[in-house]
Amino acid sequence: MTVRVASVGVGRFGKRPEGLLELAAEAASIALDGVGRKPIDLVVAGSMLSHGAGGPEPLLPRLAERLSLEGASGLRVESTSGTGAMAFHTAALALAAGGFERALVVAAEKMTDRTTPEITGELAAALHPSEAAAGATMPALAALVAQRYVERHGVDVADLALPTIHARTMAAANPNAMFRTPVALAEANASRFVASPLRLLHCSAIADGAAAAVLERGDGPVRVLGLGQGFEAMRIVDRSDLTTFAATRTAAKRAYEAAGLTRKEIEIVEVHDAFAPFAPIHLEDLGFCGPGEGLDWYRKGWVGLDGRLPVNPSGGLLGRGHPIAATGLAGIVEIVLQLSGAAGDRAPGRRPKIGLAHAVSGLAAHNFVTILGEAP
Amino acid sequence: MTDAPVRTLVLSRCGSCQLRYLPRDAPCPRCGANRAETYPVPPDARVLAATELSVPPPGWTAPHHLLLAEVADGVRVLAVARHAVPPGGAVRIEFDGTVYRATPTGTAGRGEGESPKARSAGPSFEPPR
Repeated sequence: MTVRVASVGVGRFGKRPEGLLELAAEAASIALDGVGRKPIDLVVAGSMLSHGAGGPEPLLPRLAERLSLEGASGLRVESTSGTGAMAFHTAALALAAGGFERALVVAAEKMTDRTTPEITGELAAALHPSEAAAGATMPALAALVAQRYVERHGVDVADLALPTIHARTMAAANPNAMFRTPVALAEANASRFVASPLRLLHCSAIADGAAAAVLERGDGPVRVLGLGQGFEAMRIVDRSDLTTFAATRTAAKRAYEAAGLTRKEIEIVEVHDAFAPFAPIHLEDLGFCGPGEGLDWYRKGWVGLDGRLPVNPSGGLLGRGHPIAATGLAGIVEIVLQLSGAAGDRAPGRRPKIGLAHAVSGLAAHNFVTILGEAP
Repeated sequence: MTDAPVRTLVLSRCGSCQLRYLPRDAPCPRCGANRAETYPVPPDARVLAATELSVPPPGWTAPHHLLLAEVADGVRVLAVARHAVPPGGAVRIEFDGTVYRATPTGTAGRGEGESPKARSAGPSFEPPR
């Protein structure tokens, strides 16, 4: 595939006064300025919750009007928390197919204007209807996953919060992150229960935010090296093992094959840590370590900026905040910034050449892997 | 347990690959065939994982417990429970037409289940509104 990311944009995540359209336009404008406002012939946009009351629908024509992109074509995608990654993949595939020259990808979510129960109810739409009907929520199913992981691998429950501690340390150096103050393990483990054994600080936060990228046909930095996605049974009762996500393993295998790479060549990674115990599972499913070894990487500091494999330098979902649709693209944006030497205070001592961004839809029912960097 | 009425639970068996699974409005989760037959099994299950939601979703009242439990043939069920049951605990599963509901039954000498007193205490569940 000869498609490159020419420019990226991201705004501050958290509670923002602006509406969805303004947030999307802010991130998009940064990305468009990054290519000197060169002509765009495709816009791919994504949002999960914009259909609600007062949401800016129809999103694409309103965004095109706002950004003066009415001369472009437009595609709209949705894949819950994987929406941003799906939008990026859609644009890359459209460019690779030869139909377009330069695409703007933008993914945005406005969440803080609704109550937590309203948002929780809307996000339960990402679960299988039969399981949502039992009063399941995303944190509840994540709690069942966490408990299986603890049992399977003999993990100390207190250590489930290690990825939160790491995330908050990383986020402190990211001016766009929602949570910029570090927390201690004891503090995380004293936060209130959401769905036992998961506590508030095991869970990523509701946030407003947007991310954007401009992709072009042709060679040059930062190249899109490999894309992969995979599905897994949506009902958790149809899964024989909850301590691993088959959709990630499938997506990773496809992306590594497409890139002609192995996990050993990946130098930096952003994983979808919607819940702290998912972070080690993702590292294991992406092939970086064996089953049950993920938390060890946090214990030993191997996930730090100058560790064996820097993980979530942006702060990830736990540190950055989780504006659903924007998240999957924000991870890609962070990898592009890191590979471009534009990551400011949160860059490793030696600039990485190849990075990977991972995104999850729903309870890991449809996952995405994006590999970016210099051609091997 | 002698006073408990005899109840059964219904599972699906794929007519093509023989996979046993929880009935669903979709083809076989393994081979995609549309040839499921249902068959009865005892309602006894073992809890694999459990959670208590601090703030249940709209329509449910606290305490709202969800259990992942294993019934016959290794089939898994996500069930609502009124009481906490730790992993390894024994429950009886009933299907009310919409959701599966779990009641602790004790664990045949392992001592992990609820007492008979707790079991007989009042109406079991708040229905979703």
